[in-house]
Amino acid sequence: MARLLENEALRILADNKLPVPRFEYAATPEEAKQAAENLNVPVVIKALVPVANRGKAGAVVFADEPEQAALNTEVLLGSSVQHCLVEKVLICEKLNTDQELFVSITIDHGLQCPVVFASTAGGVDFEEIVSRNPEKIRKVYVDPYKGLPDYVAKETWADLGLKGSVLRDAAMILSKLYNVFGAYDCDLLEVNPLVITKESKICIVSAAMTIDDAALFRHPELNHVLQMGNDYAWRALTSMEKDIVDINETDPYRGKVMCMELGGGDIAFMCGGCGGSLLMLDALLQYGGKPANYLAFDGNPPERKVYGLTKVLLAKPGVRGLFVCANIANDVQVDVVANGIVKALQEAKKSGDFPVVVRLAGVNDEIGREIFNAAGVEYYGEEITMTMAAKRMIERMNQIKAG
Amino acid sequence: MGILVDRNSRVGIVGITGLDAMAAAKDMLNYGTPVLAGISPGRRGERIQEIPVYDTVRQAVEEQGVNTMLIYAPPAFILDAVQETLASDIKLMVIPTEKVPNQDVLKAIYEIKAVGARMIGPNTIGLIHPLERVKLGAIGGDKVERCFIPGCVGVISRSAGMTAETAHMIKKSGLGVSTAVNIGGDALIGTTPKELLELFERDPQTKAVILFTERNILLEEEVMEFIGQGSFSKPLIAAIAGKHTLHMLKKPWLGYEKIADESADKWSEKLKRLKAAGVHVADKYDDIITILQDLELEESWVV
Repeated sequence: MARLLENEALRILADNKLPVPRFEYAATPEEAKQAAENLNVPVVIKALVPVANRGKAGAVVFADEPEQAALNTEVLLGSSVQHCLVEKVLICEKLNTDQELFVSITIDHGLQCPVVFASTAGGVDFEEIVSRNPEKIRKVYVDPYKGLPDYVAKETWADLGLKGSVLRDAAMILSKLYNVFGAYDCDLLEVNPLVITKESKICIVSAAMTIDDAALFRHPELNHVLQMGNDYAWRALTSMEKDIVDINETDPYRGKVMCMELGGGDIAFMCGGCGGSLLMLDALLQYGGKPANYLAFDGNPPERKVYGLTKVLLAKPGVRGLFVCANIANDVQVDVVANGIVKALQEAKKSGDFPVVVRLAGVNDEIGREIFNAAGVEYYGEEITMTMAAKRMIERMNQIKAG
Repeated sequence: MGILVDRNSRVGIVGITGLDAMAAAKDMLNYGTPVLAGISPGRRGERIQEIPVYDTVRQAVEEQGVNTMLIYAPPAFILDAVQETLASDIKLMVIPTEKVPNQDVLKAIYEIKAVGARMIGPNTIGLIHPLERVKLGAIGGDKVERCFIPGCVGVISRSAGMTAETAHMIKKSGLGVSTAVNIGGDALIGTTPKELLELFERDPQTKAVILFTERNILLEEEVMEFIGQGSFSKPLIAAIAGKHTLHMLKKPWLGYEKIADESADKWSEKLKRLKAAGVHVADKYDDIITILQDLELEESWVV
């Protein structure tokens, strides 16, 4: 999942002849003042962070004068919005809003085709209004080869009650948005709001764009502007997650890693495969455990990678044990993983009072078993199930807590 | 017996000159899979693991009668490989390639459905039919019997790794596998659990099916609807990863996702509905063993 910051999304839309407000961006209050002077109208100042609901988070402010733009920018810079540090702000011309529309284009995974949502209830309260008034939203499924015909875009807005030149303009914008969605391999292209001004002009005020990271080879020009985030949580990476990403990058193709730090917790969690690891997270929770993170590795990670990952997980304050578990896999070298884990444990001086339970079955199990046993690590191969390993981990944690 | 593949399958491998494909081809042949042709442009006349290589799918079909295709092309070439395979009227393809662009997968699925063909994957470790010793992809590796022995339990798994682990649980319970299919872990997949349940329903060898999914609103709804219609008469065991935790990891981001996201309440409601529909939901993964044993299935396929 790769996201674009709003200034980049707006730039792409403008490049594709879509109406966006005049905008600049600023990293200091002085730049903000200059930007407001350049625009020479009342402005909207928005934190440039790749998260939604900035309006409700207080990360969108207004300024009538350049001095005020500088002051308001100073407040936003250095603050954080949903764990994302604000390093830049977007400064756009403020429009005379009459009505706010909403457009979202994404892929419907059930019907396996693109889907367009259009609504006349745009704005910060969109979800609430639409859940109460389902007639204010239209959903259109799109043939992946034909695309969104112009007449369907027109019908969609006409059904929602738009008329006159606004209807024609909104239809044209919807068609063009769909074309951008396809041309840039978007996972999501969302415009909220699409504003109709008191002068009956129509303009995209805010846009969110995520790109299918599997398709990035078709868009090398976007490489330097993409914000890479976590597949699950739409927030900036924590320092633990950043460290894990760095370690992953050293060997990106061997033992691919996904990590998410969880709040608090006392069990460092390093499990194999996405399905198996989720299952083990379930199991630890069902037995009353508190994982400190979620880390899933795929395939066959080399020793230095396993060592690096373990080291980062063990360093989290409050961690009192380590759980490593994976499904039976013909490509995981248990001895290699064992060497990495044992090295990190020994360096961190973790011994008997630090429970470690490992369940790994793959290649060289018996050599792995010897390495783990020699280091005093409780190791199991396929003789026990994954669930039993999780249960054993919790028993060990309970022992140290009781003792 | 079993589904999708059998001794009559005549397998071709697109991209056979790649490292992953070569390794898989070796294990497939050793297991007994009838791999008859490889396809790699400009490499006609070569042999990989004794398998003759052709430049085009059409040549492989004309000269070897290939009717089942394993596609190891790089992500950018998957859509073209699917189109080439369909053009030769091949109705089953399996795609291990990871990271295929969504829009290409959408188009591939669209074309496949238009002609009534079937695609497993992308991003699948493959499928296996232990009784007839046919496997497509790296599934089972070079030690197939460690997990996969012949039997009467079908496996449908979202997770590649858990396909083998689930087969191992079946083995622990004293049974074996009819056909195991890793449907792929991506958001867009060619064949859904419901479509495989239709095939397992008609397969005399299969007496029960285990479905391993990661909590996913759409796939489960489809299965529930299918079972609710009475279309599946055999016992179905569901193991769902992330059922207690995915809401912890997943925080909705934008408006659309908020609409699509389900709350924890809705989720427990769904578990109840799955159970009410007669699905055996494994609360813990280990429960698979006791559920299977309680079903008292007989491995009557044994000759």
